This record gives sequence, structure tokens and C-alpha cells, in this order.
Amino acid sequence: MQETLLRVWQEAPRFVPDGRENGLLRLAIRIGRNFAISQLRRRRLEPALIEALEADAQAAEDSALAPARASDPLLRRRIAECLRRLARQPGRALAARLDSGGFEPDETLAAGLRMRRNTFLQNVTRARQLVAACLERHGVDLAMELG
Amino acid sequence: MSPPERRATETLIEAATTAWRPRSPSGEIRAHPAWADLDAAGRLAAYEAARRLRRLEAARDPDGLSTTARAVLARLGRVER
Repeated sequence: MQETLLRVWQEAPRFVPDGRENGLLRLAIRIGRNFAISQLRRRRLEPALIEALEADAQAAEDSALAPARASDPLLRRRIAECLRRLARQPGRALAARLDSGGFEPDETLAAGLRMRRNTFLQNVTRARQLVAACLERHGVDLAMELG
Repeated sequence: MSPPERRATETLIEAATTAWRPRSPSGEIRAHPAWADLDAAGRLAAYEAARRLRRLEAARDPDGLSTTARAVLARLGRVER
């Protein structure tokens, strides 16, 4: 995903709209699909399997073009509330993950919290489960909002 | 699956949900190492968990950005077009 987004950014200046809707998004999906297929070829997967996966990806393109939901202020408040209610260790672990913005590996985040990596990961799992349960108690439809 | 095996799989799944990614020597973003240790069912579970987590991150972020988006935006400043 991240490599695809970087490649899209590099290709974007040369992008020429073809008049169809979501042209840049279609280009992004194509770049992502081609990158994934090249990775599969590099791993010497059977060509027939690659073709089947390629066909599946083509069929899934329309659902990928569905508009993204806007950030909901009420949901944000509920999430913040549920994060505040987390027990100390799961709360610290999940906050470290979310605040790191993907810049640091878990080993570094765990060391910063003086946790073993496995303990850190177990706390993240626990935190995700607790947040999900808390949101459900507040009437948030997880399948709809986070599904 | 025995309880220790289940715990080990859950740890791998959780490890794979982070937006942090290692880089190749040439700077290409690589898959998380935990991904290589998961079987097909584990990868599917990691995908679903990461998808939910990204939604949660984006919903909590004032700009609606997930940690993946933040990580990519941080990289863009260092990538030549």
C-alpha cells in the first residue's frame, strides 16, 4: 500500500485525465495491481494463479472506487472517550502506536514504554478489543463505521 | 491449534497491523517481517485487523488520516519525482 502511494505520487505529474470519473484513483489502483503482480512474479507463483488473482483484482475495482466516508466528529469524540477509558497499559500501548504515525517499529515503541515487544503487542490487541467493546456500548455500529 | 500456537499467531497478526515498514537498501518499502511468518488465514486476519485499525486511526485523526497516510506523507518529502 505505502509503496503504491509513493509510486502514484511520482506518476501524478505525468497523469493525463481521460475524461472518465476518478481518473487518478483508477491510475492508483492500476499501479497497485501491477506492483502486487510483479511481487507475485518475483516469488515465482504459478502463472495461472497470478492470472486468477489479477481477474479478482479487476472485478474488485468498482468497490475500491466507492467514495470514502468523511470523518465524523461524533465518532471521533466517542473514540477519544473510549481511548481515555482504557486501562493504563493497553492505553499506553495503543496510544504509542497511534501517535507514532508509522515512523517507529514496535520494538522501539515497546522499549520506550519499558515493555517487552510481545507484552506491547498483547496490550495493543487488548486495547483494540476494549475500544471496540466500548464503541459498541455507545451504540456505534462497528461493521458500518469501521468495517 | 494449541494455546501457545494461538498466542504466537495472535502476536504475529498484531505485529503485522502496524503502519511501520522496513526499507530495502534502495529505499523501497517492504512488507512487515511478520507477514512472511503468517499462513493464509493469519494474513487474512491481519488484513482485516489492519483495515479496522486504519479506520479507527482516521476517525480519530483531525485531518482524517490513518497512520499509513501519515507515514506516506512523511516519506513524500524525501522522494524525488
